[in-house]
Amino acid sequence: MAVALLAMATSCKKDFLTVNPTDRVSETAVLNDSSLFEDYVVARYIGAKLQDKEGDGTNPGFGRGFEYAMWSSLTDESIYNNDDATWLIQRGLLAPENLGNAGVLWGRSYRSIRECNFALNNLANVPMSDGHKTMLKAELRFIRAFRYQDLIRNYGGIVLMGDKVYNLSDDLQDAALFTRSSIKESIDYALAELTAAAADLPLDNGDTWKAGRATKGAALALKSRLALYAASPLYNAGTWEDAAKAAQEVIALNKYSLYQGGYGNLFLDANNSEAIFVRFYTKNANHTHMEIANGPNSYGGWAGNSPLQNLVDDYEMMDGKAITDPASGYNPQDPYKNRDPRFYATILYNGASYRGSTIETFVPGGKDSKDGPDNWNSSKTGYYLKKFMNDSYPLQNPWGNAGFQPWYYFRYAEVLLNFAEAANEAYGPDVTPSGASLTARAAVNLIRSRASVAMPDVQAGLSKDAMRTAIRNERRVELAFEEHRFYDVRRWKIADVTENAPAGGITITKNGSNYVYTTKVALDGRRFLTQHYWLPIPRTEIQASGNKIEQNPNY
Amino acid sequence: MNDLQNENPNTCSSRKRRVFPGKMLFLFLLTMLSVQLYAQQTVTGKVTAADSALSGVSVVVKNTTTGTSTGSDGTFSIKVPANAVLVFSYVGFADQEITVGNQTSINVSMTGAANQMNDVVVVGYSSQKKATVTGSISVVKGADLVKSPQPNLSNSLAGRASGIILNNRSGEPGYDGSSIYIRGLATTGSNDVLIVVDGVPGQIGGLERLNPNDIESMSILKDASAAIYGSRAANGVILITTKRGTSGKPAISASFNQGFASPTRMPKMADAATYAQISNEIAYYNNKAGGMNQQYSDEEIEKFRNGSDPLNYPNTDWAKTTLKSAALQNQANVSVSGGSENVKYFVSLGTLYQDGLYKNGATNYKQYSFRSNIDANITKDLKVSLYISGREEDRQYPTASAGDIFRSIYRAYSTLPAFYPNGLPSLGIEGANPAVMSTNAGGLSKNPVQVFNGILKASYSIPGVQGLSLDGFVAIDRSWNFTKTFATPYLLYSYNKTDDSYNSRIVGGSNNLATLTESQYSQVQVTSNVKLNYRRNFGQHNLDLFAGYEQSEIRSETFGAFRQNFPTTQTPELSQGGTAATDQTNYGSSYHFTRQSVIGKASYNYSEKYLADVQMRIDGSSTFPSDNRHGYFPSVSAGWRISKESFFNVPAISNLKLRASYGLLGNDNVGLFQYLNNYSFNSQLVLGGSIVPGIDLVKLANSQIHWESAKKLDIGLEATFLKNFNLEFIYFQQKRSNILAVRNASIPAVSGIVNPYGADPLVPSENIGKVNSNGIEVTLGYQKPSRNFSWGVSGNFTYAKNKVIFIDEASGILPYQSQTGHPLNTYLLYNATGIFRSDADTAKAPHLSVSQGGDLIYQDYNGDGKITADDQVRSKYGNIPQITYGLVMNASFRNKVDISIVFAGQAQVSQYVLPESGTVGNFYSSWADNRWSPTNPNGTYPRVDTRASASVNGGQYSSTFWLNDASFIRLKNVELGYTFSGNWMNHVKLQSARVYVNAFNVFTITKVKDYDPEGNSGSGQFYPQQRIINIGANIRF
Repeated sequence: MAVALLAMATSCKKDFLTVNPTDRVSETAVLNDSSLFEDYVVARYIGAKLQDKEGDGTNPGFGRGFEYAMWSSLTDESIYNNDDATWLIQRGLLAPENLGNAGVLWGRSYRSIRECNFALNNLANVPMSDGHKTMLKAELRFIRAFRYQDLIRNYGGIVLMGDKVYNLSDDLQDAALFTRSSIKESIDYALAELTAAAADLPLDNGDTWKAGRATKGAALALKSRLALYAASPLYNAGTWEDAAKAAQEVIALNKYSLYQGGYGNLFLDANNSEAIFVRFYTKNANHTHMEIANGPNSYGGWAGNSPLQNLVDDYEMMDGKAITDPASGYNPQDPYKNRDPRFYATILYNGASYRGSTIETFVPGGKDSKDGPDNWNSSKTGYYLKKFMNDSYPLQNPWGNAGFQPWYYFRYAEVLLNFAEAANEAYGPDVTPSGASLTARAAVNLIRSRASVAMPDVQAGLSKDAMRTAIRNERRVELAFEEHRFYDVRRWKIADVTENAPAGGITITKNGSNYVYTTKVALDGRRFLTQHYWLPIPRTEIQASGNKIEQNPNY
Repeated sequence: MNDLQNENPNTCSSRKRRVFPGKMLFLFLLTMLSVQLYAQQTVTGKVTAADSALSGVSVVVKNTTTGTSTGSDGTFSIKVPANAVLVFSYVGFADQEITVGNQTSINVSMTGAANQMNDVVVVGYSSQKKATVTGSISVVKGADLVKSPQPNLSNSLAGRASGIILNNRSGEPGYDGSSIYIRGLATTGSNDVLIVVDGVPGQIGGLERLNPNDIESMSILKDASAAIYGSRAANGVILITTKRGTSGKPAISASFNQGFASPTRMPKMADAATYAQISNEIAYYNNKAGGMNQQYSDEEIEKFRNGSDPLNYPNTDWAKTTLKSAALQNQANVSVSGGSENVKYFVSLGTLYQDGLYKNGATNYKQYSFRSNIDANITKDLKVSLYISGREEDRQYPTASAGDIFRSIYRAYSTLPAFYPNGLPSLGIEGANPAVMSTNAGGLSKNPVQVFNGILKASYSIPGVQGLSLDGFVAIDRSWNFTKTFATPYLLYSYNKTDDSYNSRIVGGSNNLATLTESQYSQVQVTSNVKLNYRRNFGQHNLDLFAGYEQSEIRSETFGAFRQNFPTTQTPELSQGGTAATDQTNYGSSYHFTRQSVIGKASYNYSEKYLADVQMRIDGSSTFPSDNRHGYFPSVSAGWRISKESFFNVPAISNLKLRASYGLLGNDNVGLFQYLNNYSFNSQLVLGGSIVPGIDLVKLANSQIHWESAKKLDIGLEATFLKNFNLEFIYFQQKRSNILAVRNASIPAVSGIVNPYGADPLVPSENIGKVNSNGIEVTLGYQKPSRNFSWGVSGNFTYAKNKVIFIDEASGILPYQSQTGHPLNTYLLYNATGIFRSDADTAKAPHLSVSQGGDLIYQDYNGDGKITADDQVRSKYGNIPQITYGLVMNASFRNKVDISIVFAGQAQVSQYVLPESGTVGNFYSSWADNRWSPTNPNGTYPRVDTRASASVNGGQYSSTFWLNDASFIRLKNVELGYTFSGNWMNHVKLQSARVYVNAFNVFTITKVKDYDPEGNSGSGQFYPQQRIINIGANIRF
């Protein structure tokens, strides 16, 4: 019996058990084939999907971008109409165990940093020209710095990984994994990386370095943003002078200019001179179908990110005066008249034209109010989002045929506002910093004078403080819904005011042909606590570290 | 195993190496030829039991296939050769052998003692007399399986045997199977049971869709006796043996069933007036300054209540509008078996039709199956068998999934009509109107699946060496799974009361045009096996040995294509879709997997008194790297039949056996190629205006990956006592180690090793988990055979408990929250201890910063005065029951009326269900009617909220409030049959005729309020389990 057993055992061919995978690529191939390697490198622009309701279409890039609940709905720009784990943040419940939408940046960023480090560590041996290697190296360092920016602006001082690639066989309780650097160390590291990356990245996109890949301008724009943050009160880790200089570096490229084809159109197509670094989408590689996700209920939309009255009220009158200014001519009973043109390009309001019809948020009977169809999808604030909406995409049944808008990571307007803010703080509104070509005021006015916006210049002779207010408001309006407000109110340390203000909306009651406007609270319980200046590190991460990672204060 | 179901005259038991009793009533096993050659003498007689005539008793000439069976008056007549010995057998009675000699009349009285010790049990790669079995093996007979009108075979096992834990999770035609666990959960990895059909491990097509009429028996290997299946046996093995022919003239059997299915339970939803009131409350909680009538005035609510304005203020019961009261199903089956001495056959054809529950629904399931099992003696020593079976499973669905349709039924507001008074369909909830989604309005999804299984077996008795034989088989399985989904746009309407107009909205398809998705998934498995057997008795020493080699290879191919922007819905073909390059996509992948095994088993017994089995299997699997590829799976088992000892002199106990087994089993059911770093084209990014594929690392390598192992100990006691009682008691213990699990919780994300959401983890499976489980099984039965009234009852009980010894957890986890030391699948929840009766009430207990009246009170478990995640505690039970039990009863009156009843139950089981309620969807009335509200401060449910999943009283702070005790006892099956008799049957050449009515899931006793306690959906939104009432008939001629 044993003999028979043995005979059979030896008769079997060893090869039978050797199966080669056909649906995956080996590491050897990735590291020895320059085009596969490059396919690996460019994929770093995209991050892993780490929670439900993100990466609808293609996986997330940096930040949050176009998702159902946008980052704006964690601020005083909008509320997400159907919650989707945003209200807990609006209501001050944000905690290490209750992260809502804001829990994935930690993991996504570090995963990407590891992937970049892997490529950086292996780049030297990949068969390709040295020149190309230099560019890929710069690209990887840019991506890695961008991930650090995502970490820093959310968590403050973070763990810097250097070029280390941790593997499963390593000690994953290593103290080095859990030692947070200071904010300054973190920012300085990222800034230095970006300086190095900018030196080697190409100035322009083209056939060999396609649009969507980082350029010198992208690295310098990120540097500008980080330098601005560093100088801000919350960070207190840099100077306004340096921040102004960093913005000036982008301006000095003389490559970028403001798009003059209409503020609204800017967000539908990024093939323009204002675009510095953009995530592009196309059919079969789309993002969330914005029109149905945010559209009014009578159109079949879901009201998603509903703009707040708080934002609406911050749009100036067309004459450049705030609505709170008695001389502005603002009429609370005709509130949408003569407002900053960007208001009309950003917000759908009662009476606005949309897709061949008119928005009706009034009651009783307004089709886009609670009296309309699918009324749980009617806006609680009385407003719908207009910015980013492309009317040529289908709103009903858009599946696969929408979600192609570009997401601007950096556009020139931001750089100008960075410059204006830093220059004003460092030098005042009307000083041209040395080496610069314009003043803070001039930078703001450039933005206000964009064709289709054409707002009057900022009043001359403003004090630095008044100019600060103007710049902050300009930033709020110009960059609304572009993932700035959340970080701006924090770094300015005004979030305890802005994020504690009730989430406002409007009730419009129709009386015959008259409308009566009454402001209301769209969502009760808005609250911001001191600890919320920084996000909490996820509880799971604290536990995985054996409580060795230091949590942000007061969590 | 005890099986007290087998006195039904239609039973066909599995004594395949001896005689074929049971359904022999109408079998004539003599061919005309053999009658002429051997008939020398006619013997007549009568068979009785307890002084009553016994019909259907098999009367066979020993060592031949010549036989007959007794008629309804118990008489028989048979021509026999000289010196014949007649064997009388009838299920439930001891066989009797009578030497004919020169007798021409023989009357036999069958004795009542059911002695199943001579039954043959199918075990791994062999069969064994039940008396000599040393493992824990449950047997369920095919005849019992057909008593369940549920067309999915997996549901027919419920309650019938100890140690097998079944939960029917959904009732959707085509997807209505039960999850099967043997002795509960034992690993964090795959708990899948290995299905072996006619000797082919893991036969493609599986268990669920087999035709129960084709099944002779099922053996469930629960202990180390399964070790002969080595690497795949850790979770238990179910051996299915299909029917084979017996010599004799063709016996034709036909059956037809007509069933009526309806949901076992559906939640009752809040009516329109209640929902309108609730939406006012939700608006109030979001903006208290706005008051209590922000959505509806009291007058409007009254209109919902009184139904005076059905256009604007309807009251819709969406389930009633969408679903029929009963769905039809039917099954028809014909089989023919018979053969000559050298060729025997069993062929069958079956059809099955199940309609969906939807009114005008698109869902249905059709199945056609055939089987042909042929055995032939080529020479005296060489036997060849060919088993061929195939089936077509035609599934058809609307393009909306059942999950979406039921989700919409539960979400859609009762304040909106399904159809306006003029007949136009409404928008439902967000353009999802379940009453329309369930029809073919939005197109159809067709999913035909074909399965083919072919087995060629041969066995050769090696001449010259007594007891030595060689056998083997080659099996080829194939399946083709095709899906074609054509989604077409259709119109729904909203009503504008301001101008009394209806506005249409296009839903379905994409971009207002049709889309088409087609995919094909095919699988082929080739299994070959060769085995050398030696079986011989030396006096009282009985030896049975075999050694063999087996290999199997499985390959699959998938491809699919998609098109959109169809210019017309008339052309549901890929070639007719949109022509832009971006209108079309396609994909494909394949899979290849091999296993190679050497198996051996030695069985020895002395006088069937002292029993021992040793098994060994060496498995190689392509899942593992070449230096770690082989696993060794030995087992030993032994038995002692105490009742055979001369010193054992207890007349009341006719059989007493003590047995034990211990062995090592394995599991390799994890993803392939985990020993390599896996990279894949995994992401699409857009560069320069077009899509560029991106490569990602999708799996880190674990070069050490190898078998998960299970050490199983099993001690059993079997007894037959007081003639009619059977008892089996088993203690079992299992230690699972090297469990292939993914490190997740312990790896800090800063390392960059982060698993993606909803995709295969980046971290490979590692042999790190440890789980211990143990429990007992008890079966106690009583069977009283008699001519006038036979009856039996058997109860089985299983307690299976598991405990996590090691699972990957964060180093900083709180001890009371860790999974280690707790059972698998438990929940981590806040303890809800009550409801704050008012805003002021919140001051009385630690609470969330946002807590208000109507919110759940969570226990401050760690006593720090705050409610934080540290206050979550682990639930005692998961959603796999620790206790399951069954009660099987049967009775037969004068062999005319028979009844059988199966109860199944479970206990020590919890299921978390949080309905999708709020403005996002309607409420179960249990919540709606009992909710806390400012006007109902004594409500037993928390206040309503915008979205339960994000509410502090719901998903945001998952709590024990939503954890249900999913214990139940339910009448799983009941069957009442009537067997015709009388001379008229002979005139119409009918051998037997039986009509019956049976039912599935008849009633349930449970504390679960709104849904079927067997469900495992965390939202309660699933196609409900079915209650089926069925009538049927069997005839044989």
